[in-house]
Amino acid sequence: MPPTSRIPPLLQPFARTPKNESLLLLTSTLDASANWLLTRFLCDALGSGQKDNDNGEAKNVVLVSWMRDYDFWRQEARKGTGIDLGGLRTQGRFAFVDGLSGLFLPADEDTADQQRAQKLPAAQPGGPATRGPQPLPVRGPPGRTAPATATAQAAPRAPASLPGLYALSSISLDQMKTTIAAAIASLRPPTAATRTLVVLDNPDILLASVPGLTAAALTSFFLDLHTQTSVSHVLVHLQSDLALLANAEKPSPLQIAQQNLVVKTAHMSAKVLSVRVLDTGVARDVSGVLRVTVNRESWADIATVGEGGAVQAPEEVGSEVLYKINGDGSVRVFERGAELAV
Amino acid sequence: MAFRKRNVALARSPAESPATESPSSPASHPVPAPPSPGTRPSPIDGRPTTSTGSPSLDCILAGHAGLPLGNSILIGESGTTDYAGALLRFYAAEGVVQGHRVHVVGMGEVWGRELPGIAEEKDKRREGKERAEKMKIAWRYEGLGAHGSSRERGAVGSPATSTGDAVGEAAVFCHTFDLARRLSLPVGSAIDYIPIPRTAGSPFVEILKNLQKQIAKSPPSSIHRLVIPSLMSPALYPPGASHPAAVLPFLHGLRALLRSYPTRLTAVMTLPLTLYPRSSGVVRWMEILSDGVFELSPFPYSHMESLATSAGTTKDEERPQGMFAVHKLPVFHERGGGGSTEGLGEDLAFTLSRRKFVVAKFSLPPLEGDTEAQGAAVREATGNAMPRKQDLEF
Repeated sequence: MPPTSRIPPLLQPFARTPKNESLLLLTSTLDASANWLLTRFLCDALGSGQKDNDNGEAKNVVLVSWMRDYDFWRQEARKGTGIDLGGLRTQGRFAFVDGLSGLFLPADEDTADQQRAQKLPAAQPGGPATRGPQPLPVRGPPGRTAPATATAQAAPRAPASLPGLYALSSISLDQMKTTIAAAIASLRPPTAATRTLVVLDNPDILLASVPGLTAAALTSFFLDLHTQTSVSHVLVHLQSDLALLANAEKPSPLQIAQQNLVVKTAHMSAKVLSVRVLDTGVARDVSGVLRVTVNRESWADIATVGEGGAVQAPEEVGSEVLYKINGDGSVRVFERGAELAV
Repeated sequence: MAFRKRNVALARSPAESPATESPSSPASHPVPAPPSPGTRPSPIDGRPTTSTGSPSLDCILAGHAGLPLGNSILIGESGTTDYAGALLRFYAAEGVVQGHRVHVVGMGEVWGRELPGIAEEKDKRREGKERAEKMKIAWRYEGLGAHGSSRERGAVGSPATSTGDAVGEAAVFCHTFDLARRLSLPVGSAIDYIPIPRTAGSPFVEILKNLQKQIAKSPPSSIHRLVIPSLMSPALYPPGASHPAAVLPFLHGLRALLRSYPTRLTAVMTLPLTLYPRSSGVVRWMEILSDGVFELSPFPYSHMESLATSAGTTKDEERPQGMFAVHKLPVFHERGGGGSTEGLGEDLAFTLSRRKFVVAKFSLPPLEGDTEAQGAAVREATGNAMPRKQDLEF
């Protein structure tokens, strides 16, 4: 591993996208969030100069987050992995699609006008770098909360005044798809080696809160994104709390839909990473357990094993490690039983 | 002063007179803008925090010693008691005293009139004793606050006024409130009551719009607190409110609002867990959408006598009234969590008295005649809580 990498060596096989084009699933629970692992994925995909990375060159990344804002990701990525998302955005290697700000928040007419009046002078000369710390403005026409009117609306995907920042303002999957596709298309033109990784952070909130949306529609949404020509990998982050899955004797429709989504996506994925807390309770020196399961049945890359060299790379075998997030944002990953060593 | 000795600590311009110092000091030491009343930077990462009104709850919040602005807390309570309501009142009263704008959803002015007032100071002797105790703590750690400390720093030195003027007490971060007193609201009605519309559709759209409008038209330095008592309770909300398609977009929008005002808005909500159990999918999504999640499980009243003799009772405290569970902490869990904070995974119990809401460790008392366990309880009471490692290895 290069000494500059901020990813601990034991974690590297986990936070790396497979060689082949594939769909990946990452699940987390309420008290074990997977944001730290998502930033590691971003770091590994965006990290340039890692020549021994057998993925070849670094990738472009589009991060679509329905739960967290851009500032959070920017700070976490800088603190935890030392990558500068703002700089990569201006280079056209990273794009962020904000699914939080404008999705359900009704854009007030007065405030929207005020915002437009404030933003327009700054937006038109095209001086984006001066307005870094500002919250992402809600762009386009006010977001509709009623699904019937939202579907009838034209796609509000005006390119942002800040490069690489997009916002979703409608709950219709088609418009989300066009916005995300615009974000993908805006990145640096892909060569044969550089492909795009699309990270979808908590799209399952749509399933829970949008009436009439089915799990099947959402999984085909994932697949549609994956079939975009420049996209090589799609990483989907879903919640897998037991309370969200249909474990009760009388599961609610919400639980059934979430279970459908998680199970379907897991079967489609080449690799499933799951983050959870320790089964035995809270420990001072362990944050949680990271488990990797490789889906080998559907993933018939037996022919490519020979050219890869290693027949059984460590990431090919499903395994489980413990992790601990330190106060400074760094992470320590260790095998079970090794926690007393340090 | 080019030849200043390097190994001497720099004093603040010792040779110069104060008159020449004052114009040069802003240039050399850029003074950060003074924090708004009622906020202070977190000792961990410097983000602005504000007090929840209960010092014990502030101490639990993952070392930030306050609720970070731009975050929300969901407090679930099972049973028919209203301990969480007391927490809400402390939170709202703290906001009124600090001059924040307080928004209350679904409650009338009666609720605002019943907010607890600032407690009068205790006798001087107790304060002097506490001061003597405080001398033992290095002053820089004092700001972090001890977990479960029975009295808060704010009470010391605060003028015992029951009026809400925050002029003389700008330094006080968290006041002591007395549930038996009433807060006299400042003129101009510091509390904004957001009604729940009786419409056929989701009531939350209007609430969110109302709140958004209020914040947008307020001056940009104002700080807002959102109080939502008994979310989805059928006594307050129309029947359709508990549908996931109604409440989850609201919380998602609220999360977006909190993130778009990361230095101006906090929110605390309570949820009746008996009606909406934590094992249901809706509640889990609500918890995921909130930044902090606590659960109160009050002891049944009749069993109180038998359960209540905890280790806390020996330390001249009141008997605990229920269990306090921490499920999620703001900022801390969002960054990945870690077992290194206090209160997580431990058995905590809460005690609500007239003046305070205290969360402390809960433990059952040792059996009669079990001298070994009693000795251990005494040891724990003296502060050596964790057994050493060599005690565990055999």
